[in-house]
Amino acid sequence: MILLDSVGPGTFLDAVRFIGANGGLLWHKAVEQLALSGASMGVATAIAVPLGVLLGHLHRGSLLAIGVSNVGRALPSLAVIAIGISAFGIGFTNVLVALVVLAVPPILTNAYVAVDQVDPDAVEAARGMGMRERDVLLRVELPLALPLLFAGIRTATVYVVSTATIAAVAGGGGLGDIIVDQASYRFPGVLGAAICVAALALLADLAVGGLERLLRPRGLRRADGRAAALAPEPLGGQAAPGQ
Amino acid sequence: MSVHSAAGGPVHIPSFGRASACITNNDLFCPEWVRDNWGSVLQPALVEHVKLTAIAVAIGFAIAFAAAVAARRHRILETPIGLVSAFLYTIPSLALFQLLVPVTGLSVTTVEIALVGYTLLVLFRNILAGFRSVPEEVLEAARGLGLRGRDILWRIELPLALPSIVAGLRIAVVTTVSLATLAAFIGQRSLGTPMFVALRDYFKTEIIAAGGLAVALALGADALLVVAQRLLQPWARARAAA
Amino acid sequence: MIRKHTRRAVKAAFCVSFGVAIVLGGLAAAALSAPAAKPAVKLGTKNFTEQYVLGQLYKQALEAKGFKVDYHESIGPTEITDKALTSGQIDVYPEYLGTLLSVVFHRTSVPKSPTVALAQARKLDAKRGLVLFTPTPFYDTDAIGVPGALAKQYHLRTIADLKRVPGLSICGFPEFRTRYAGLVGLRKAYGITKAEFVPLAGISVYAALAAKRCKVGDVFSTDPQLAPPSKYTVLADPKEIFSERSQTVVPEVRAKVAAALGPAFRTTLDAVSAKLTLAAMIAMNKAVAIDKKSPADVAAAFLKANGLA
Repeated sequence: MILLDSVGPGTFLDAVRFIGANGGLLWHKAVEQLALSGASMGVATAIAVPLGVLLGHLHRGSLLAIGVSNVGRALPSLAVIAIGISAFGIGFTNVLVALVVLAVPPILTNAYVAVDQVDPDAVEAARGMGMRERDVLLRVELPLALPLLFAGIRTATVYVVSTATIAAVAGGGGLGDIIVDQASYRFPGVLGAAICVAALALLADLAVGGLERLLRPRGLRRADGRAAALAPEPLGGQAAPGQ
Repeated sequence: MSVHSAAGGPVHIPSFGRASACITNNDLFCPEWVRDNWGSVLQPALVEHVKLTAIAVAIGFAIAFAAAVAARRHRILETPIGLVSAFLYTIPSLALFQLLVPVTGLSVTTVEIALVGYTLLVLFRNILAGFRSVPEEVLEAARGLGLRGRDILWRIELPLALPSIVAGLRIAVVTTVSLATLAAFIGQRSLGTPMFVALRDYFKTEIIAAGGLAVALALGADALLVVAQRLLQPWARARAAA
Repeated sequence: MIRKHTRRAVKAAFCVSFGVAIVLGGLAAAALSAPAAKPAVKLGTKNFTEQYVLGQLYKQALEAKGFKVDYHESIGPTEITDKALTSGQIDVYPEYLGTLLSVVFHRTSVPKSPTVALAQARKLDAKRGLVLFTPTPFYDTDAIGVPGALAKQYHLRTIADLKRVPGLSICGFPEFRTRYAGLVGLRKAYGITKAEFVPLAGISVYAALAAKRCKVGDVFSTDPQLAPPSKYTVLADPKEIFSERSQTVVPEVRAKVAAALGPAFRTTLDAVSAKLTLAAMIAMNKAVAIDKKSPADVAAAFLKANGLA
């Protein structure tokens, strides 16, 4: 008796049917994955944004900020997760640490470059007006740096949400639990969960984009084209593909 | 020690060698294990990993290059090619590897098809962006000089597109090194194999050795490409020095 | 000013990669179309320690007798490896008799006698074009292992006693969830319906138990962690959902391949199987899982000591 089907065009339809029939399970797993991703992004942002913004404001430490991005981008995610587990043991916290390590580089570098490259004339003008350093940073540099800063956060978010799929191998839960369990869920399940991961990453990307639009200062909201010009490709290129 | 089995005659169970205290305690890193198992576990995994990565990037580059050359003049091609590669990009690799097995079997081919698919998006976008970054005036000047299409491509566009192409290659290489570790999930040997095996028994030394090799491979390849780019662009060096 | 050597270098790089692609394509095509002089046997294994040892034992024994082996280690659990066998991606892999009957053929009761089980399995497999060689003396069954302290606290002796444990959670391979020799049997035969299942795709059940991710776990009877003195107690399975005595290992082979390779193929594998007593298997599992020797080295030492390689 052959349990598992081959893959064909019918598999896609079966996957959609699987999603329809297992909404509860998929929802539960998606929430697990989002929780892990959200917590990792929270910690990573809390570490990387203040550090990057500060360095950028002081125009110091460019080697560190850019170097971290080059190194961090190259880290193979499974290796980082596995090494994290051997160093700290298995558990939610330890997979989280690994994901934070992977998320910090793009956020840090973008935060640094975003503030470092704010139009110096604007900063000069603000200082000339007698603004304190703190106000220069918070009321002039940060708002102008927002698009590039958020580009880094968006990249990191998509990367973390996708990589959290591998966390299943380390006992981290999430939709990866279904993807690695072809024996129980068969191809429709594997493909269905994979589609959900892609959708989740897309939604996360849109959510961060929406957040950026909300926080974007009114002055920069003139036209989408104008704002887009300030938000170039995230440094280092696209996020890694769905892991 | 000898135990009689039913039909096979006496069974001799040899001593398999003692384990050091470091290994028995599962300390973080035991160098003696790496020394003893380099040839049988780590080196073959590393070699396979390098092969998988090299083949995937070479094939992906060839395809992406051809696609970008075609799309740079015929803008209408950009969207469909971009969409297909972006679609492949979002499928979690653990899923794609499994889904390809019934089609191409438990083989290197299955892994390579997936890995090549993932490199296409980055390489296509970056090569095309490189071509697009060539100023129109330069192209017109070249045409004015009487250069034909192919000459323009090789002598003008490519060298100017180089930074973008190498940037894309760097991302493609490190991403492929990372994804190739997951190929172990369908039984294809790579640096992921000792990682999976060691995770199963929670053997820290092997995890760190294999993981460390993967990180070193990615960083090393990235550094090599940076050096290659500097070598291929002497005018950039001169400009920086000026 | 575009330097000549740059142009040439870029051209060279591009030609090299195109060339590599063409050469590889050519090699692949050649490999696919050329008939092999002596066909390689595609030997596969499932995805845990004992299977890696068994795989290396059979592989090296075959190679010592002049066979070429195409080794596919760690394909996955039975559900996937069996499919690889029936679809021809592999020619042979070592399967557990009881698991074959209960997982592949969905039997909820496996014959108590291994001889009867073997006959049943041979009949069913013959319809799929597969043959079963001679089983090993040792058997390796799934079991429910509980930490000694928990066993003492709730006086756990058999699986049915698990109903006394509040907030019961069970760790196991993901496929445990859907198997009768698993969660389904626990529910249907023992009435354990309130257990939370924690799937372990990558980490070991002992690591999970030690990290308290679950209270009890699905263990294998030949695990070295269960050899005395052990921190874990194995619960008795009176309703026999785990088909203990029939869990001997038997190479499952595609009939056509077995015929093509001749009797030497079978005698080589059978000679190895005959030497695999419980003591031998546990010793080898310990060497790999606890002492971290590589399965290849352990298998080589064992075969050499028994004149099989």
